[in-house]
Amino acid sequence: MAKGIKSIETRHYDERDAFFAGLRRMSRRGFLRLAGASAGLAMAKGLVPPHSFQLIEMAGAAETGKPPFTFAYISDTHLYPGRLNDRFVRAILKAVDDVNNLDPPPDFVLFGGDLAQLGQREELDLGHEILKGVKPPIHMMVGEHDWFFDMGEHWRALFGPEQYSFDHKGVHFVTIMSVQEKDFWTERHMTPMERMQTVAGLDNGVQSRFEVGPAGREWLQKDLEKVDPSTPLVVFSHSPLYKYYRPWNFWTEDADEVQAILGRFQRVTVLHGHTHQLLSNRIGNIDFHGMLSTAWPWPYAPEGLPKLTIQQNRADPFDQFDGCGDGSVEVTENGLANALYNLWDRNPVTVRASYLASGGANDAPARTKLPSY
Amino acid sequence: MTPRRTLMLLVLSTLGAGAVVLAQSRTRVDRHPSPPSFSGNVVVALCDGETTAEIPGVKEGETPTPAQARDVADRLMAAWREKNPSARWEESVRLAAAEQVGGTVQGEAGGLPAGPQGAVQEGHTYGAFSERDQRIWAAETDKFVQEGRRVFHDSKALGSTIAVSCDMCHPDGANTHPETYPKFQVQLGRVALLRDMINWCIQNPTRGKPLVDDDPRLKALEAYILAQRKGTPLEYGKH
Amino acid sequence: MVSRIAPLVATVILVAAIPATGAPPKLPPGVSTVLYELAVTPGTEPTPEKIALGEKLFNDKRLSSNDQVACANCHEPAKGFVDQKPLPDGVAAPKERPQRNSPTVVNAMFNATQFWDGRAPTLEEQAKLPILNPIEMGQKSPDDVVAKVRRIPEYAQAFPKIYGHEATYDDIAAAIAAFERTQYAGDAPFDRYLAGDEKAIDAAAKRGWFLFNGRGRCSNCHAFSTVSPLFSDQKFHNIGIAAHKTDFIDLARKAAGMVRGGDVKQVDELAIQTHFSELGRFLVTKQANDIGAFKTPGLRNVAVTAPYMHDGSLATLWDVMDHYNKGGVPNPNLDGGMQRLGLSEAEIDDMVAFLQSLTSPRFAELAKQTMARQRERKSVRPERDTAAAMGKKGHLGDLAPLPDPAKPAPLGVLVVRGTSYGEGH
Repeated sequence: MAKGIKSIETRHYDERDAFFAGLRRMSRRGFLRLAGASAGLAMAKGLVPPHSFQLIEMAGAAETGKPPFTFAYISDTHLYPGRLNDRFVRAILKAVDDVNNLDPPPDFVLFGGDLAQLGQREELDLGHEILKGVKPPIHMMVGEHDWFFDMGEHWRALFGPEQYSFDHKGVHFVTIMSVQEKDFWTERHMTPMERMQTVAGLDNGVQSRFEVGPAGREWLQKDLEKVDPSTPLVVFSHSPLYKYYRPWNFWTEDADEVQAILGRFQRVTVLHGHTHQLLSNRIGNIDFHGMLSTAWPWPYAPEGLPKLTIQQNRADPFDQFDGCGDGSVEVTENGLANALYNLWDRNPVTVRASYLASGGANDAPARTKLPSY
Repeated sequence: MTPRRTLMLLVLSTLGAGAVVLAQSRTRVDRHPSPPSFSGNVVVALCDGETTAEIPGVKEGETPTPAQARDVADRLMAAWREKNPSARWEESVRLAAAEQVGGTVQGEAGGLPAGPQGAVQEGHTYGAFSERDQRIWAAETDKFVQEGRRVFHDSKALGSTIAVSCDMCHPDGANTHPETYPKFQVQLGRVALLRDMINWCIQNPTRGKPLVDDDPRLKALEAYILAQRKGTPLEYGKH
Repeated sequence: MVSRIAPLVATVILVAAIPATGAPPKLPPGVSTVLYELAVTPGTEPTPEKIALGEKLFNDKRLSSNDQVACANCHEPAKGFVDQKPLPDGVAAPKERPQRNSPTVVNAMFNATQFWDGRAPTLEEQAKLPILNPIEMGQKSPDDVVAKVRRIPEYAQAFPKIYGHEATYDDIAAAIAAFERTQYAGDAPFDRYLAGDEKAIDAAAKRGWFLFNGRGRCSNCHAFSTVSPLFSDQKFHNIGIAAHKTDFIDLARKAAGMVRGGDVKQVDELAIQTHFSELGRFLVTKQANDIGAFKTPGLRNVAVTAPYMHDGSLATLWDVMDHYNKGGVPNPNLDGGMQRLGLSEAEIDDMVAFLQSLTSPRFAELAKQTMARQRERKSVRPERDTAAAMGKKGHLGDLAPLPDPAKPAPLGVLVVRGTSYGEGH
């Protein structure tokens, strides 16, 4: 091997090393932008060969039709300031690489919430800078870790309103704020940091359960008034919008009301964060797909796991990426969604709408060998 | 009272029978011919060679219910004790009937079956603990577990250099499986106990300095993790 | 020459030790009876005749198309069953060379799969492929090989006697495999240390063993247990060896379109002859996660199997340690377990000392020579990147290197709070 001749990757990684070194000396101005063109693992849309073999499950024979479009997601990055923890920074950079190297590129990228870990300005700014390196257009969703330090003040300044909707290729997309909480901090005389740290702990049971809240539901109702029931609907939510496990806030308190609002639509897909695991559910006419986190995986809850979920293997703590990842969603011609979980250091898993619709009878994703959590 | 009933009363004694172990008596009895019951019920004979009792309602060849069996055993026992008042008989506490307080069995008042009260051993060594003792010990144990819970949730207390705490991957101690130790722990490359894995996790995912075996934080963490799995059967080696 | 006789003598001794009934021989420490039973299944027990025939075939250059290349060319018994070259010389050398470094035959019988990419499930299946590879031994088809072997008088006699009929390709492979099933080796100083002899290895090697299981992060993939003392988990990992000269994504795209499922011959040719070799396990499984992944080799006798890695690109054990110390070479598929280690030079020396202690007695002399050669090069360290290893640059791993188990935290104090039940509820 000839020294001095650098491959594309090495050059990129040298550039990124420089960026990393820059991060440590980071100020709120003076960032180095993440170099483009970094090699990442392609999610192989374009890799389908003429033979029956497929690189990954995405383009399967069971598709109802040529998928009109895909979008990708990066979620739950939980950034600390870089000088305190660069492991999570490395992970979000890996996700940005993955997303930038999708071929063909996705129509847009969703950020699924919990960009920061403790809602600090420094953390949100760091995430903001890193996400500037995402090439396709990006839509942001807020998580509780971003919100409860300053009640969303800096988030809104950086990323705009926490609830919004848009239409794309005949599908109506809605981003709702589903991690509101009833006030638990005033009576306890908590400082903003104490409030934030309470919300950041999954299992302390002090914080209130997540909800969309009356105002949020009213906004959603109004937004959906003008949408025809036959229009495919994709809802972005941080909390799951159903009731999975209350003690860990894998839960939306007013899920029933929200599902009722969504109920009049024929095809609804909810994409949610917060749970950091491969999670699938179907309630009525609504498909629910959980997004992976880049930072760490949560174990499955001791009870309440939806029957349709085929668990991912337990993560190996030796490998910081195991159990984490990013993903993409393929919206089919029917307006239904197949979720591809790009699990790092594992083979990808696809959870198809047909699997959910058939109650688990068809197109089941790969099973884990390990017993349940 | 009919003569028949009087006869039954005469025949009926109350003593423990069947599988009861006698503390003192060592007399060998070859065969104890038990008198037949007037109403055809099964007659149970005690191994002292003389005491018998009937199980009302159960005919010869039928199987009594556990409750009926316990009842006839109690009656035979009581009858034997009446005959042998000076025998030193060790009281056995029915664990199933005893009430549980803080994970330990309540030994004294309450929990013993009704019947003639046996003497309860007194004393001042460990075995004679009182309810007050149990309450104190349970509270102290729980405080230790709570300290473990605090360390478990606090990256600074753990010594993490990257602000990662145990509860990030193990909320409520989930996915720790302490009941499966000892087992071959792949990450350590050898058979490990829970404490070894805790220390490995402190070093690797949280990047903190390892704790020495005697460190109270390590023991408290272990206590918290074990406390979360109370009631789970032990299954060492399970993956 | 003495060096050639010694292994033959060793083989004869081993042959004598194998009872004719086929009951398992007495295994030295460091060779697991459990793995032996898995490796020597009923029907494959090596008998003295099969071993002799297999050894003859193993060393026979006439198995190749040009009568120049035997198995033993690349797997030289006197050299620890490797050839001490980065890439071997096949029939097409020096114009074309096979793209994969020759693994050793010693203890290969215990591997779950054979080859760097696990494309052969058994020793028999492994033996069949290099003979038919165009640039290894160059034969065109099994029939050619069989015809040639049948014409050779010694084999024309031996095969019917042992197998009951004239030679077939399966029998040729079976005989070679029988010989290979006698090539296990244990009884290294490390094994004696584990058995209780404190003096079997020196202090440096002991420190190296401690590091191996600790901050070196080796034991996860180079897994050792008394039941499986191979120092390999038999899994496939991308540690970034080829990343400095390969664009994996582009290569994977091309390969995905080309590789036919289930065609081992095609995989064999792509793996040996083309630059697709760098894709490793991906050629076999076509799983995205296997791009650039190669099987964890065992570490026994690693002192004599230089140069190292699937392409022979690392010349000495110090180069190997440098590679791991900096966390490998970044690439999109780098195994998440690869992280910078922050080992000092002294610690690296300790680890090399430990690796040397895994040498079996029959290779001890050879190891002296090979390690002397490696030590000569110790000051030339092309792979070393201390800044990356210590975390001053790059980001393979956390901010600080792993804490040292030998330097624990000071004894903590539990903060005892009042009589209340603790925070929260």
